[in-house]
Amino acid sequence: MGILIKNKEAQFLIRLTDTEIILGQRLAEMCSNGPFLEEDIAMSNLSLDLFGRGEELLKIISTIEGGEFSADDYAYRRNEREYYNIKLVEQPNEDFAWVMAKQYLHDVYMERIYTQLLESNNAEVSGLAEKVLKEIQYSLTHSKDWILRLGIGTNESNSRLQVAMNHLWKYVQELFLFDDLDNEFLVDTESITKDWNSEIESTFKEANLKVPENVHYDIRDYRKGFHSEHLGLILATMQFLPRAYPDAKW
Amino acid sequence: MIELLKYKNITMEKGDKVWEVFLQKKAGLSFKHVGSVHAYDKKMAIQNARDLYTRRSEGREIWVVETEHIVSVPLGQADAYFDPSDDKPYRHASFYEIPEGVENI
Repeated sequence: MGILIKNKEAQFLIRLTDTEIILGQRLAEMCSNGPFLEEDIAMSNLSLDLFGRGEELLKIISTIEGGEFSADDYAYRRNEREYYNIKLVEQPNEDFAWVMAKQYLHDVYMERIYTQLLESNNAEVSGLAEKVLKEIQYSLTHSKDWILRLGIGTNESNSRLQVAMNHLWKYVQELFLFDDLDNEFLVDTESITKDWNSEIESTFKEANLKVPENVHYDIRDYRKGFHSEHLGLILATMQFLPRAYPDAKW
Repeated sequence: MIELLKYKNITMEKGDKVWEVFLQKKAGLSFKHVGSVHAYDKKMAIQNARDLYTRRSEGREIWVVETEHIVSVPLGQADAYFDPSDDKPYRHASFYEIPEGVENI
């Protein structure tokens, strides 16, 4: 549709927004597919939190951009190349280990990002960060628990989680290829990389997992709107209704 | 039987159990039974209880107790336990006259 985001801060915030929305959509797929009822509801709750966060961010973006497009326009009327989520969150839910692996790697990253956004010059952003951090800290407790449970549970659960981590690892590198925009709106991107790595290292050790090797991949950056093959299908599901019935109200 | 999974300093339990959930709405109020959850251990039980029962600000504190740790009146003995009090209305405070000037009773 050609929704251009012009303001720099909005361009930065859309990265966080899209990451939360796409992970929310992936988690929503787990609704009625959880390993047991309680975890099913827990994942749906996390999904709703992510969509709530995405909507708040889109409202901020819409205001910064002068209100030309609404939050719904941004969510439902942008194509793949206009989405700026990290590729990690668009990866499929092959099994429960994949779901929790993605969630955990994401939560550790976002916990650091939102902690730095507490110091944002934009009061709406810092206010949101304060609220969001509580959600993320809970989500992190939950996902980290599952990493430990699966990691030290049985040989089967350990190997499934290790397989998931090995597959997902190639989408981890781009998280830390911070550009000028990231550096403008985050206080200290270097410390994000450092903190993330040390948290991951200690948890993997505790969970009896191997940190996959960092092989260099030539994967084009999500910051430029590049994706894996999965995003198109996610958007097709997510955007079908508002695109097919543009006048629908909910 | 509960087996303990031990790896370094982490202890987690194996095997599904049922836990009863109690919520406290505000500090100082009594806890109310709201339902039950399935979980393997305490940590999972308290998280599951949070996810199932506190999404709409229903409480500020949660207790979970393993159902099998709750002692209840043996099945079939309810009559013996409770019926004898049915015909003793004098055990209620309704025969007590409230002195004048006392509010809030």
